[in-house]
Amino acid sequence: MTYIPSADDLEVITREVWTSFLDGDPGGLLPGGDGVGAERVTGCVHLSGAYTGSIVLQCSAPAARDAAAALFSMQPGDVTSTEIIDAIGELANMVGGNVKSMLPGPSTLSLPAVVHGQLAVPGAQVVREVTLVWRNEPLVVSLWQQAAQAA
Amino acid sequence: MRILVVDDSKAMRMIVERTLRLAGYDEHEIVHAANGVQAIEVIGVEPPDLVLCDWNMPEMSGLDLLNALRGAGWHVPFGFVTSEAAPQMREQALAAGAMFLIAKPFTVQDFQDALDPVLA
Repeated sequence: MTYIPSADDLEVITREVWTSFLDGDPGGLLPGGDGVGAERVTGCVHLSGAYTGSIVLQCSAPAARDAAAALFSMQPGDVTSTEIIDAIGELANMVGGNVKSMLPGPSTLSLPAVVHGQLAVPGAQVVREVTLVWRNEPLVVSLWQQAAQAA
Repeated sequence: MRILVVDDSKAMRMIVERTLRLAGYDEHEIVHAANGVQAIEVIGVEPPDLVLCDWNMPEMSGLDLLNALRGAGWHVPFGFVTSEAAPQMREQALAAGAMFLIAKPFTVQDFQDALDPVLA
């Protein structure tokens, strides 16, 4: 039986990344919330191999700006799209790399892709998802699996 | 001493540099490269005493960089700082000649544990 990381696993990994590099406070990231609205930034890394799918990190535009400001030690008002893309890509990469280590291998992790808006993962479906709140802004982490493997 | 930090994320290069300073290596010169190709250029100009390198990067991965350095006879101490830390990745890193693999996210203590034996 193949173990697929749970929603709790996704939350623990995300909390570890956020605590290490963004807040220093494990209580800064809260469970719950209503999900991410249309004004969002999405970071994604793709896995191919024994497990084929994606790890997708979505957050509101203000959360993305604040995350970039924290990583770059900048004022939020000074953050540009370049810093946001770099920061959300690296956060997706860290969450994705740690999720990968819990999945069956071997598989290859892609470089991160970041878009302003929603990102479609063709032929894949969400198998795990956690909805969180950071600084009163929504954050969603999801694990996708290629439909052929999920069947 | 000179430490080369190689990562395609500028944010991560800055975090690694901050962590090095917090870990007590604030007297070392720290230089950056965004991928393996840039790293080879930097190393060719002035060899560092340690390379801290991401694994998954465009242009040239960290593992390809390490293989290229060893193939060219460069034996600069080399460690990975990467989000992928499964046992088989560690084995692959060590087999290629890396001295350690630090998993992201990391702590100041992780850096001290890995780097003290190299830089002491």
